[in-house]
Amino acid sequence: MTFRLLQNFKGGRALIVTRRCGWEGTLETTLAKLGVSSEYPDIVNGRAQIDAASLQAERDILFVDGDLEGVVAIEVNPASHLPPAPVIGLVGVEAPGRLKALVNLGATAFLRKPVHGGAVYASLFMGINQFLLRHQMYERLQDLEERRRGRRALVRAIILLMQSGLDEDGAYSQLRRESMRARQSLELYCEELLNRRAKAAESSSQTTSVKLQDVNKRAM
Amino acid sequence: MTRKHRIGVMFSTTGSYRVVARSMLNGALLAFGEIAQSGAAVVLEPVVVNPSGDLDRYRELSRELLKAGIRHVVGCYTSSSRKEVIPCFEKHDGLLWYPSHYEGFESSDNVIYTGASPNQHVLPLVDYLASRVGKRAFCVGSNYIWAWENNRIFREALTARGGVVVAERYLSVGDTEFDQVISAILDQRPDFVFNNLIGTSAYAFFRAFRAACRAREIDQAAEIPVASCTLSEPELAEIGLDAIDGHLTSSVYFSSLDSPENATFVQAYAEAFPDMPAACADAEASYVAVKLLAAALEQADADDARSVRAAVANQRLAAPQGEVRIDPQTFHAWLTPRIGRSAVNGQFDVLLEARSPIAPDPYLVQSSPRFAVAMRSPVLRVVHS
Repeated sequence: MTFRLLQNFKGGRALIVTRRCGWEGTLETTLAKLGVSSEYPDIVNGRAQIDAASLQAERDILFVDGDLEGVVAIEVNPASHLPPAPVIGLVGVEAPGRLKALVNLGATAFLRKPVHGGAVYASLFMGINQFLLRHQMYERLQDLEERRRGRRALVRAIILLMQSGLDEDGAYSQLRRESMRARQSLELYCEELLNRRAKAAESSSQTTSVKLQDVNKRAM
Repeated sequence: MTRKHRIGVMFSTTGSYRVVARSMLNGALLAFGEIAQSGAAVVLEPVVVNPSGDLDRYRELSRELLKAGIRHVVGCYTSSSRKEVIPCFEKHDGLLWYPSHYEGFESSDNVIYTGASPNQHVLPLVDYLASRVGKRAFCVGSNYIWAWENNRIFREALTARGGVVVAERYLSVGDTEFDQVISAILDQRPDFVFNNLIGTSAYAFFRAFRAACRAREIDQAAEIPVASCTLSEPELAEIGLDAIDGHLTSSVYFSSLDSPENATFVQAYAEAFPDMPAACADAEASYVAVKLLAAALEQADADDARSVRAAVANQRLAAPQGEVRIDPQTFHAWLTPRIGRSAVNGQFDVLLEARSPIAPDPYLVQSSPRFAVAMRSPVLRVVHS
């Protein structure tokens, strides 16, 4: 699986969460050169007014000032630890607690305050691509997890085929061949095969009981 | 009231890329002379230094110039030298007026980039090559950031147009041993060679490649032309008559341009430096940089970096290449891309040119794909059966 690096940030929107005091001008002008527009969400009662539902991972980048404790309250995916859009931490005080808070928000890059123009591209490049990479790895992990769960079905399907006379390798080869023909993963194919067999067994036992009733009817 | 400013001029007029640097120095000196004669409100006194292509010397000389109270330096040719001195300019808040074309992806607040950005040199060349020459490229370059990055941009743009880079080879700056590279090129038989070698390495390559093709009865210029973003008229003279013609170059200036501004410039240059090679893109670039610097200093209230930056934004100049102006967002220049082919008279025939100046796009925001183009798997061939 190859990872495609995002290298052109044109059309991006930076939401810069900080108290405006001058240094952010360098960040804004450098982002503009990179094709990224800047917005400054209002901070009301210590909370940035960001509509988390409207965040788009392909467009938005959050720059969060680590010196403003708890200023951003966005939900981070509990399994992937990923925020809804890439987060770049703006670091002033390098206290471990503040860095930890940014990491907990899912920050994938840091940028020192006051911002130096020459550091913005690298930080943006890192922040967005690490976000995309982690996202891709999480999807891959989910896929592997699903396949891991399906291994039980595979083992059972092999045993089933071995009962009809095939050896282990032969059973595996047949399942693999048939799953490819059905264009399904091996695990999913086995699961469906077992389901089909179980249903067939069930309906044949129902048919038998109907017949028995018939016999009984006739006997009556 | 006339104001006097000392201006640093820093070019490596000795060392492996001295031919280009001498042209750059000459272009700057011509502009200084013209400004002095024009009776402008500013008097500029050039302070010329020569780092001899040594990166440490670039750093030391920059520090010395800036510590001596000089706030503006016109200089640098290679990207490695520019990157070496930028921290010094940022520390002392001076302005480096960088006149060379370069690979982009930079925008220091302490640099005014008057040379071409990649969308003004390499991308027009890719368009030309892919549509008129072929789509199989062999890349050679000097082993430093210019060639690495310019080849990357070239590769991505060519791949996007359905082309392929069959190989990339890098040699140390100043290296002139090309037998292996040339035999690899002749083995691959690409449609063209994309050259990012600089200085003496480039001249040696052009000569050796032409000779190797001739020995195999290959018409090199017609069958495997070499295309560059750097080659200029004085460099053609360095290559020598045996291999002077048929090379493609993407440049914003050729001395053969037909315009009154250029005729005046070429004549003035020839009169000022009668024993030197004729005017070229590098000379025009530093000439333009000094003219823009003078115009900005004349307009600004003070000579500090901030005031002069503000004054140079949107500055327009009727340059030998056509109108040049500085983009206020990126502090790079609007320039007119052209494609030329070298002829036996040591000049370039202009094959194509943009109708008007093109906006600089140093980060290729307007002209590169959103995602990086994945490298294709190398084409493998059987070496032992």
